Amino acid sequence: MKHKIISLFIIAAILIPFAAVQAAETIKIGALYTMTGRGGQYGKDSEVAIKIALDEVNAKGLPGGAKLDVIITDDKNPQYAVSVAKRYITDEKCKFLFGIISTAIGLAVTEVSKEHKVIFVGTDHAGTDLTANKFQKYYFRSANNTFQSMMAGAYYLKDEVKNWKKIAYIGPDYAYGRDQWMELKWGLDKLGVKYEVVGEYWPKLYEPDYTSYITAIMKAAPDVLVNGMWGGDTVAFIKQAKPYGLFGKMKYFHVDAGGNYEALAGLGADMPAGIIMSARHHNNWPETPANKTYVDKFYKAAGRYPSYAAEGAYVGVHMIAEAIRKVGNANDTEALVKALEGMKIQCPEDPQGFTSYIDPKTHQIVQVQAIGTTVKNDKFPPAKYMLGNFKVYPADKLWPSFEYIDYMTKVKGK
Amino acid sequence: MDINTFIAQFLSGLSTAMLLFLISSGLTLIFGVVNVLNFAHGSFYLLGTYFAYQLMQLFDNFWVGLLVGAVGAGIVGMIIEFLFLRRIYGRAQEGAFQLLMTFAFILILDDVVKFIWGTEYKTIPKPASLVGSLNIGSVTVPTYNIFIIIVGLLVVLFAWYFLTKTDTGKTVRASSLDRIMLGLLGTNVPMIMTLVFGVATAMGGLAGVLAAPLRTVTPGAGVEFIIDSMIVVVIGGFGNFWGALLGALIIGEVLSFGILWMPELATVLTFIVMIIVLIVKPEGLLAKRAVGRK
Repeated sequence: MKHKIISLFIIAAILIPFAAVQAAETIKIGALYTMTGRGGQYGKDSEVAIKIALDEVNAKGLPGGAKLDVIITDDKNPQYAVSVAKRYITDEKCKFLFGIISTAIGLAVTEVSKEHKVIFVGTDHAGTDLTANKFQKYYFRSANNTFQSMMAGAYYLKDEVKNWKKIAYIGPDYAYGRDQWMELKWGLDKLGVKYEVVGEYWPKLYEPDYTSYITAIMKAAPDVLVNGMWGGDTVAFIKQAKPYGLFGKMKYFHVDAGGNYEALAGLGADMPAGIIMSARHHNNWPETPANKTYVDKFYKAAGRYPSYAAEGAYVGVHMIAEAIRKVGNANDTEALVKALEGMKIQCPEDPQGFTSYIDPKTHQIVQVQAIGTTVKNDKFPPAKYMLGNFKVYPADKLWPSFEYIDYMTKVKGK
Repeated sequence: MDINTFIAQFLSGLSTAMLLFLISSGLTLIFGVVNVLNFAHGSFYLLGTYFAYQLMQLFDNFWVGLLVGAVGAGIVGMIIEFLFLRRIYGRAQEGAFQLLMTFAFILILDDVVKFIWGTEYKTIPKPASLVGSLNIGSVTVPTYNIFIIIVGLLVVLFAWYFLTKTDTGKTVRASSLDRIMLGLLGTNVPMIMTLVFGVATAMGGLAGVLAAPLRTVTPGAGVEFIIDSMIVVVIGGFGNFWGALLGALIIGEVLSFGILWMPELATVLTFIVMIIVLIVKPEGLLAKRAVGRK
């Protein structure tokens, strides 16, 4: 008998740690990112930021000793992304959908999230629709939408740019480009700014040659040229426009994605000084310990500085972890939705004294916007110019705008 | 429209056209001689750019980069033709095999570039002598754009001389007309195919390096203009070198003046031109009826 008891103790001593390990759940997040082609840089940067965030979250711990894990797949196109999202839910048993660079793909995947009642945290796509006319309760966004950028831009044009009247726009011919222009004009009208549109140009996304657009813009001679491009298109446009002297003849204004680090790095010394830009995250602003730590960690992990897509992914992982901590598990989706609504989340881009938060009605993260001008700064190589002279716009002046959501719903439908 | 606007827009169109021509001419040459519709042509443009980038990291000299980019793309082109494409010539369903194989090379070469050089945008600066701009009257034209126009014209002159005045050029033209007969006359046709493939892909690489200081050097950049190049080739006539020049000039100028006059429709205009050509002269503006072509 004595031997039996000792044996049982030994077996229990061996099995109990295993049981504890098995009980520690791995909570899976199914992410979709563009990993190849032009947008591949955004996907790769997001992947690095996700790993950093996972390390932080898992080190801090989750209820029941659970661990967060993220699976990443190249999203390719809306149809493919939808099939992967469904597989994530049904086969991989993912508790969250995550990521996505393109608004078109985001719009497709939000339908999967709605149908399966699975929370989808959008981390980079900026089309306002997802937190406006296409809102559904399981969708949350961890980066700003284009309306927030363009509304801040409208304030900047009203207050900081003097003696202008004629304005022209160039942007990619799809929803992202079209929406920015609609939003900026709406913002200017709302602020009572009088202006005259002297040109609207719609090159295709990834247009390699802007030469003829540039000479046409020079002919139209606006006081302000608004650019709605992103990524490599920004690089190509600026490289091609510079020798024409475009930047000396008009104010150049590019506030959703123009100041993204990848464009600053891609242009290097070709970047003109004094042009007005912004991005969803800046490596050199705000100069807070949180932002510096985040940027340093990223550089240490990747050997390069992050583009803005990375911060959205980093914040998104922390949002999910915080919601799980509040609820105590990852299985009660409705409770997780409630936990995310109104959640305050400290982001690297938050200036001293401000904490970003999730607007409970639209599920859009609400953040300050900082618009600057390009100044020489080689502290973040290979960029030779970074943004400086920042003007900061308070978050609650920019979102939510239910008046604009009504307008957008009227224009674009539900 | 005043004359200055006309000149500015015309020169913009011309510089666009010359880059389009440099890319499309290789595409059409491969189709005309080797009878392969090379969907991966853009990948050689990309390879040329990255070879040049790599060399410029070592030597910091644009001209060395230009040479190495073009030659390197040509060598890779010849290897691919010799090791892979040659296996499918003359097979039943050759067209489908061509499509699959060249499309596969788009994906493979794009990923090779990504693995070696990463996804970050790379920069290839203009040579110092070509920075800045010239003023023609009151029209400003970037020096580098003028350089591209000149290179395009030089390629046209060289191609004209090579194809019409040299024996090798005549052999190349003959191989585009009747490969079997040429082989029976004792010419090493497979070698001609490999060489033409190499020259054409080198032209793709050359275009890639020339365009790099104006564009974004990034994986994926090679596939973006393949549609425009196809339009150029369709308008000019598949396999017709001079057709590629005419097609590129038409597309460059239509796009340029379209942007000025009706910017909302500018990108559609090129397709409208292609549709008109396909209705009026489906074989392309400069193509003759294919007689005896193998």
